[in-house]
Amino acid sequence: MAPTKQAPTRQAITLKGSTNLVTEFFKYAVNTILFQRGVYPEDDFHMVKKYGQTVLVTQDLALENYLDKILKQVNKWLLTGGVTQLVLAIISKDTRTPLERWVFDINLVEQPAGSSEVPPPKPESEIQAEIRYILKQIVSTVTFLPIMDEPTVFNILAYTSESADIPADEWVDTDPLAIEASKSQQVKLRSFSTDVHRIEAMVAYRYDG
Amino acid sequence: MAHASLERQLATARTAKVELESKLREKDVLIERLERDRRWLAEREKEEREEKEKDRAEHEEDKRKSDNELRSLRASLRSLTEQHADLGEQHTELSRSTSQIIATQKSQLSTLERQVRLLEEEASEFRHIAEERSRTIQEVQDRFDELTMSQDTYTRNGSDDENWAVVREELHRQANYLRTLESSNAKLNQELAVFRERHVSIEVLREEKRGLEKKLHGAEELRERVVRLEAEVEASRKEREAWASKAAPSDTPSKTPVSVTQSLSSLRMAHARLLEDHGATSALLRQREAELADAQRRESESHGSLEKLQSEVRVSKDIIAKKDHKVTLAEREVGFLQALVASYSAEEAGQEDGNVDEAKTQHIQDLESLLAEFKTRIRVLEREIDSLGGDPALLGKVQSASEKHLEKIEELEQTLFELRGEVGGGRHVPPGIRVLSLRDNPAQQWADLRQEVMDRLKSENEALMKRLKELEESGAGSGKAQHNADEELVPRESWEVVNKEKKELEDVVKQKEKRLLRLQQVFASKSAEFREAIASILGLKFAFYPNGQVRVTSQYDLSASFVFQPTPKAEGGGAKMQLIAQGEGGPIDLPQMMQYWVQTEQCIPGFLASVTLECYDKWKREQQEGVSKRFCEDNQN
Repeated sequence: MAPTKQAPTRQAITLKGSTNLVTEFFKYAVNTILFQRGVYPEDDFHMVKKYGQTVLVTQDLALENYLDKILKQVNKWLLTGGVTQLVLAIISKDTRTPLERWVFDINLVEQPAGSSEVPPPKPESEIQAEIRYILKQIVSTVTFLPIMDEPTVFNILAYTSESADIPADEWVDTDPLAIEASKSQQVKLRSFSTDVHRIEAMVAYRYDG
Repeated sequence: MAHASLERQLATARTAKVELESKLREKDVLIERLERDRRWLAEREKEEREEKEKDRAEHEEDKRKSDNELRSLRASLRSLTEQHADLGEQHTELSRSTSQIIATQKSQLSTLERQVRLLEEEASEFRHIAEERSRTIQEVQDRFDELTMSQDTYTRNGSDDENWAVVREELHRQANYLRTLESSNAKLNQELAVFRERHVSIEVLREEKRGLEKKLHGAEELRERVVRLEAEVEASRKEREAWASKAAPSDTPSKTPVSVTQSLSSLRMAHARLLEDHGATSALLRQREAELADAQRRESESHGSLEKLQSEVRVSKDIIAKKDHKVTLAEREVGFLQALVASYSAEEAGQEDGNVDEAKTQHIQDLESLLAEFKTRIRVLEREIDSLGGDPALLGKVQSASEKHLEKIEELEQTLFELRGEVGGGRHVPPGIRVLSLRDNPAQQWADLRQEVMDRLKSENEALMKRLKELEESGAGSGKAQHNADEELVPRESWEVVNKEKKELEDVVKQKEKRLLRLQQVFASKSAEFREAIASILGLKFAFYPNGQVRVTSQYDLSASFVFQPTPKAEGGGAKMQLIAQGEGGPIDLPQMMQYWVQTEQCIPGFLASVTLECYDKWKREQQEGVSKRFCEDNQN
């Protein structure tokens, strides 16, 4: 079954292909987090089959537009390598304190210098499996993250290099929404990599223990 | 006669012939028998020959087997001899090592014994010395006491006081010094000689002291003499005074004080000499001590270097032994191979079969070349090991270093994780990185919304406060402010808020109304549909009144209409209908039907059905009549 599924002569993944894959991953990761952490009401989400599993995606038009706008820009930045980190910060509505920061580190995969031969391209099924594992892990974090019993709102931050091309009318410099050092805990999540990008996920959260 | 003779001859000839024939027959029989014998013999011979062949084949087989066996035995012999040589070598090695160990242990034992003896000797010596010392110290103490006593008595001699104090002090010092010396003596065995010298010097001192004592005795006498002389001096002074009183004073210094000063100076001299001696001996002592320390240091150094050299020697010996071993191994290997080759060639020569195929020799050559290759490889590896230090200690060091590095790596990973947490928690933004967010993000929207509400409330609050103040002022100023209050009872801001709220509510109301209207429309259309459906199915038209009454009219006779009313629930339970009125039309036998269906059977559907049937019949009749009437009219026309 496996050999028929994977074309053996598949070319190595291109930068564009990898970028699209990563962008798509962000879309589903953000949706999953927003659903799992109850930032938006559950009724706003509908089920979609993706990566061989069911993923919940928002139906809220405003939110969809917002995400689309961000992801489009992120896609551009990924192509130029201008973005190093994406952060989904969940903030308390009443006190405006940051409660959780979902951090996605974006690294370029470096080919080992000296070795002239190109490593065999990573099969897409493997990449998808890695993405699936991350999404599952995000779902499972609910078990240990503190329960948020207050209304929350979220924001997405992009850590970009100084030299990155930034549409000034849409994007503004902002506060990093840091979590208080003495109350911060972090958990490293799984990572996934294409032949070009490597995404490392992590969640830092405020814990009044 | 002739004839008779002839006949006789013939008879004889005949008999002869018969005889001859019988003889011939006998011969034939003989020949036949002989032939049979010969055949038999030939068979025997053949059998024998076959047997012989078989024997020879077996023999050859046996021989081949024995040859093989011989070969295998030879090989095993060779391997066994090899093993034997190995074992012998191991044995010699082991015996060598054991003998070496025994020798080293013996030497260690002897050195230890020697050391023990030496130590014991030293210990006894020290005990002896200690006793001696204590004795001498006791003596010195005694003498010292005596001396102090004598000094006490001597202090009366005023001019000597200072000297005696010095001497006493010196003595004290020396006693102290002796004590310290004793303690140091007990500790340091190497200082034995020095202390002996010291002891000698103490002897000298003792001698000196004895001399001093003697002198002291002399001094006692002298004192007595001095007393006597003083008395004499007193007497002579008196005499002189007497003389002076009598005649001119004469300057004749007495002779006794001169002798005393002389003895004193001699004592002082002796004391100085003693001090000098003491200084010399102590200097000597220092020198010796320094020398000793130097010697000890040198000894330890030489020990260290010796150990180092020994270890080096051991290492080199090991290396040599290893090399030797290797050489012997190689030699043996060569010998073995040669023997193998020789045996092979011998076998080849002996067998003469020419069956030692070239493949085998080729194989052997291959193996030899392989062996040579391996040897070179081993040499290269050894050289590498040598260049790397060849020392297991170095290897261990490298390993420990790598372990340390691993630990460090782990630590660094931990710190990396923590630092990642710092970045992830947003507390640290790496340099050269901008943190951006979309201008129009949900958090901002929420904040803006809140800000707006807040601003509005603030402004309203401010206005209200202002108003309150005004009212207070007006309350103070009574009627004058009345006019103003009429003008603006509520601040504009509040009014705006209320207005906005009103507008919003109006919007809501409008929406609701619209929705209601839509619902009503839907309801109306639905109910019309429903009624039509019932009319076409049951032939009855329904009209529902708001008070719950239902008017039912037959489709076929519009004058036949009935009004029903639902019975109160308490009575029938459920929505039973009650006939309460009827139209003026209807079938002729309506009262009977009502009587039967409604009152007797209490079945309104049955009543309505029969009414419908009646009405339909009537309607149908009327229709036909109408048609025929029209037909007639048409015909008439």
